[in-house]
Amino acid sequence: MPSDYAIETEGLTKIFRSFWSGAEFVAVDGISLRVRRGATFGLLGPNGAGKTTFVKMLLSASHPTRGRALIFGEDGRNHRARRPIGYLPENHRFPTYMTGEGMLDFYGALSGLDGPSRKRRIPELLALTGLEKWGGVRLGKYSKGMLQRVGLAQALMHEPTLLILDEPSDGVDPIGRRQIRDIMQALEARGVTIFLNSHLLAEVEAFCHDVAIIHRGKLALEGEVKDLTAGSGYRVKAEHVPERLAEELRTAGAAIFVNAAPQNGVPQSATPLNGFREFQFGTREAANRGVDLLRSQSCEIESVIRTASTLEDVFMRTIDGK
Amino acid sequence: MANNFAVTAALVRDTFREALARKIFWGFLGCSTALILFFLFIMKIDVVEGAVATMSIFGKDTRTMDLTRLVREVHGGIAAFLYTAGLFLAVFASAGLIPTIFEPGRIELLLSKPVARHHILLGRYLGNVLVIAANMFYLVLAIWIIFGVKTGVWTYQFLYSTAITVFVFAILLALVLLVAVLSESAVVATMVTFGVMLVSPILAQRHVIERLLSSEWSRDTVRYFYFALPKVFEIGRICREIVLGRPVTDWMPVWSSALFGVVILSAGLYSFSRRNY
Repeated sequence: MPSDYAIETEGLTKIFRSFWSGAEFVAVDGISLRVRRGATFGLLGPNGAGKTTFVKMLLSASHPTRGRALIFGEDGRNHRARRPIGYLPENHRFPTYMTGEGMLDFYGALSGLDGPSRKRRIPELLALTGLEKWGGVRLGKYSKGMLQRVGLAQALMHEPTLLILDEPSDGVDPIGRRQIRDIMQALEARGVTIFLNSHLLAEVEAFCHDVAIIHRGKLALEGEVKDLTAGSGYRVKAEHVPERLAEELRTAGAAIFVNAAPQNGVPQSATPLNGFREFQFGTREAANRGVDLLRSQSCEIESVIRTASTLEDVFMRTIDGK
Repeated sequence: MANNFAVTAALVRDTFREALARKIFWGFLGCSTALILFFLFIMKIDVVEGAVATMSIFGKDTRTMDLTRLVREVHGGIAAFLYTAGLFLAVFASAGLIPTIFEPGRIELLLSKPVARHHILLGRYLGNVLVIAANMFYLVLAIWIIFGVKTGVWTYQFLYSTAITVFVFAILLALVLLVAVLSESAVVATMVTFGVMLVSPILAQRHVIERLLSSEWSRDTVRYFYFALPKVFEIGRICREIVLGRPVTDWMPVWSSALFGVVILSAGLYSFSRRNY
């Protein structure tokens, strides 16, 4: 029975042991993760968090110490499980003696494409990535951005249903980046599962529906981008706010205090800063009601600002524990 | 099955492409062609009464002897030269072709493809052997034709020297492969393989060495190394015997070396399948 998940990992763990000292380093620590079929999934984490090791274990380039990875329900250790995967590695080193066409032909053959299909796909993909005039040129002459694009073309040769991209926009100029995003969007519309490993949080936020953050080898956070960034709202700054009214706003659940150090994760009534208090309202209606209430008590409104919680905020909070 | 063949063909093609790009193939082809031209234009053989011949190089007569014997002797000399020099050159030139695929950024992409690890490495290995085989065959066949046309003597045994040289190269390449997988270094792989080649003529004199050693354990050690390592030197001697049309009395060096190759190649493939990249 086909799995509902493109990727499923169960307690995936990788421990590196020093040959000489026997010292252990836990690179990935019991990660269980599920990526739905057709999802656009972003994997985030600081450098050295274990993202690349995790991806390598998905591809069986690195063997898990414990746990397992399933690709569309098949054990990733079986090479046939990798048939639906298209992969663009970070810091790839394509053989420079190959031409763009030669490289696509080679990796297409390894992906199981027959000769006529490769002949058909090569010009299509070169055109798609804007390299139609460069097919016969050796890869040694390509710029970094061009290598990234031909690398993406390579990953798409056999029309994969799961695309794993490791820093796809690395070294690509804004036009190329846009091109790559357009390609990914077209693939998403066709139901291709896209697993994006990127340092560019804005790119992940703009494109992915689901994200996971890995920190020190462990899964620190997982969820839908819209849920994780739901902390957006309106910030109201007012003067001469009586304590009683501030408490009333807070207990009504309409607002939380800003400029106050949270205790046990709960915002506390703040000491006014220079006579000002700030309130965070979740919705426009709540902000309007709050402003009405403040004005009815003769409080002076200094400012009303729309705020948004970005994926970067979520990322920083997760990593720094703030 | 068809897909397996297509994958192998792609891996072999890629190895040829890399050999061409690294000028390895052209270097070999150049050397081979120079040698062929030497035999074609410089060496002159005058056949007298169909049975006796005079061979001259640079116009100077050197030997007069029975024609078939002359051709066999020359073939034997060439085969011995190609075997010795060819093997050293082949290992030196092509040892880098296997470790290059372990480069970070290249190996991950290869391993992400739906191809078994051993298939990737065997494809590369086969490609490497074929690069050398193609050159050897070109050289030996051309020399054989030149001698055949010039003398009218077509002793097919000379052609066996290609198969024997490629066979020994394949055994040595298995060692290159194992060391390359373990060390990921072309230099280390080449050094170890050269070491095995250089120790071979010494171990071939094991009876003499054993007489010189006083302790039993040191004699056992020499015996162990002799039987465990490929007998490059002795197979070279067998190659010459075959080319000269003489019977081979002892095939042990051939089958024991083949066994070494199979074991080492299997160990290389196993190590590759266990490694993390």
